[in-house]
Amino acid sequence: MNYEGKRLQTLLAGEYALGLLTGAARRRFERLLMQSPGLRGELTFWEERFATWNLKLEPVEPPGYLWWRLLGKVRAEARPRGEALRNTFWRSWAVAATVVLAVLLVAQRVVPPSEQKPSEFALVSDAKGQPLWVISVHPEANRIDMKAVADRTPPAGKSYELWMLPGSGSPVPMGLMNSTGLASETVTPELLAKLAASKGLAISLEPQGGSPTGLPTGPVLWTATLVTS
Amino acid sequence: MAATPEQIEARNARLVDLLHAAAQGRQAAFQELYGVVSPQLFAALLRILKRRDLAEEALQDALLSVWRNAGSYSAEKGAPMTWLLSICRYRALDMLRRERREVSLEPMLDETGDGTAELAGLADESEDGALISKAEERALDECMRRLNDGQRASLKLAYFDGCTHEEIAANLKSPVGTVKSWVRRGLESLKRCLEAA
Repeated sequence: MNYEGKRLQTLLAGEYALGLLTGAARRRFERLLMQSPGLRGELTFWEERFATWNLKLEPVEPPGYLWWRLLGKVRAEARPRGEALRNTFWRSWAVAATVVLAVLLVAQRVVPPSEQKPSEFALVSDAKGQPLWVISVHPEANRIDMKAVADRTPPAGKSYELWMLPGSGSPVPMGLMNSTGLASETVTPELLAKLAASKGLAISLEPQGGSPTGLPTGPVLWTATLVTS
Repeated sequence: MAATPEQIEARNARLVDLLHAAAQGRQAAFQELYGVVSPQLFAALLRILKRRDLAEEALQDALLSVWRNAGSYSAEKGAPMTWLLSICRYRALDMLRRERREVSLEPMLDETGDGTAELAGLADESEDGALISKAEERALDECMRRLNDGQRASLKLAYFDGCTHEEIAANLKSPVGTVKSWVRRGLESLKRCLEAA
């Protein structure tokens, strides 16, 4: 390449790295980039050098919920398309099952009428779309119920722990998951208010008895979104 | 403490391993990658976007795109951290252009006033460079010092604040044409100086 061409490549790559190419100029550059290893080299040269400025900044820990939100999106994408379709089937099945379940609960527990209707539901399913738990929120009773739909016993020496993902701040521990039957957790009105505004729920694998730190320490296995009933 | 070249190489090799595993759909590797790189990326995004909510949005978008495209990383795109930073920065620039189109913002304004920008910028002169070699950093500093004030300020306003030519011109109270030539001459001198170093 001639000297002028090389000089122009350096300049354009530098301007692009700085963010100064906009509109059509930027699109043209990106098109050329696909084709020209030389131009890619020039751009990398600048990106590497300028990156040293950013790498000098003091690291700032992002808020805890950011990872959980990202994970939710990653997991949603990780499902093959066929499974996503089956999922829809399972979801409609699960909604029906949840209604049946709610009726059963009411019948079995003979709860006062004010308690009959949970304000919110969440369905926890595995990657294949099979429902594992139905979680329901009962604000009047300061209670959340976890109904195990399939037997999911944690590995020996481990527990599954439920977390609420608030709009801001770290995940809040909500108790351990039962592997069979129905379990209830008593929650404070403050926590219920947070729950109503929350982004969702997550279940992580923790040492037996739950996380020792009050924050998730193991991998997140399942996430679920609360829906208003 | 600056990192030795061996430490930098070991760290880059680890990041490449994690990217490679993530490209194969391994979420645990992606989680580890997130733990290692997100604080540095978040600091860079806070610095340029100056708003916590925007920085969070940009980080999430950028890392989702890293998850989708981890397999497209290759050495020609620079060190892994350079590649990750670039993805974040270009995402942030898109957001800035969008925001500034919607409301005409003063580019230097810390909108939230919650000090996150100052916080992220505080370490500008930090001695800690665990990811970059001292020599590389010194070369850039030294070469930047050789530029004239207008050239230096233009490059920094573009890089750190995501300013356009017009915004730099407004900031430095100089004509846009002057700013354009500061940028070009600045880049040319910088390149010559860095190649000689």
